[in-house]
Amino acid sequence: MDQTEQQEEDYGYNLFPERNSGKFQKGSIAESLFTFNHKCQVMLQFAMETSKLTVLSCLFSAVYKDRHFSCEDCDGTVSGGFDATSSQIVLCQNNIHQQSHMNRVVTHELIHAFDHCRAHVDWFNNFKHLACSEIRAANLSGDCSFHNEVSRFNFGLKKHHQECVRGRALRSILAVRKVSREEAEKVVDEVFDTCFNDHAPFGRIPHDKKDAKFAYRDFENRDRYSANL
Amino acid sequence: QPPRTCDDYWSEFRHCKSLWNRFHNYYAHGTSPSCGQWKEDYYSCREWEKNPGPETKESLQQSERNREAEQRKFTPVWDLRRDPPRDWHMPLHQGKSPDSQS
Repeated sequence: MDQTEQQEEDYGYNLFPERNSGKFQKGSIAESLFTFNHKCQVMLQFAMETSKLTVLSCLFSAVYKDRHFSCEDCDGTVSGGFDATSSQIVLCQNNIHQQSHMNRVVTHELIHAFDHCRAHVDWFNNFKHLACSEIRAANLSGDCSFHNEVSRFNFGLKKHHQECVRGRALRSILAVRKVSREEAEKVVDEVFDTCFNDHAPFGRIPHDKKDAKFAYRDFENRDRYSANL
Repeated sequence: QPPRTCDDYWSEFRHCKSLWNRFHNYYAHGTSPSCGQWKEDYYSCREWEKNPGPETKESLQQSERNREAEQRKFTPVWDLRRDPPRDWHMPLHQGKSPDSQS
């Protein structure tokens, strides 16, 4: 009997080998002090203290560094991920070497975590949901800032941000799901307008520190705001 | 009292008009930002503080409601939860693989 080989969906878990090993033990002291893991932990601490992240982590004030973040080695060039089954953000200690990169990855993944926390996101079965969260994360995390795009040699100006968001959302979907490029593009197109314009929890696209500061001010002011509408 | 302090309206107006914000708006939306409403709201706010009557309040409140409506005019792709997921704070399964059932 002929057996056709079917590509089994692994939802991107192959990129994060430490997730499947069932290994949650801590290593030796030497390992923890002098490795990528230590550097990852230190950078994560700094990242938690920047303003964009304060908005997110304060907003649902229930994100604990030790429970909701994990520094691990990952495959390829992936920088991080959100594991919905364990409600954990994975940071790729072997691929994040600069603080600014760490800040951006943490913000990006926190947006996924925020979506998971506030909505019934069907990560594994609903492509529209996945695409929407990826669009939002690329849009709001600083992934597509002018500066970052220029450093990738993507020179564009008018509405280039949107082009970048589309492209990065597509890349993220293709990295974790076995689906054709055409199919992924179709889904991104379907949900783009809705999701690009969903700026929760910031209320705006935070392009710089001032935007982040004002978004945080709105968050602090939320009770007064809703009471006086 | 007004939904925001009057200074907040003024600082939003100044920020909106700034060179950086105009650049970011062009980069993200391809247009110049529209900042006039923040300035109007600032004057409405000052008016509210001086003469807190129903008409002065209504103009500012309506402006804020419009601002909120702008943010909400799309149909979300997902349903919102009432509470966070039940397993958000549950301890991690030590020694088990992430997709095992327990």
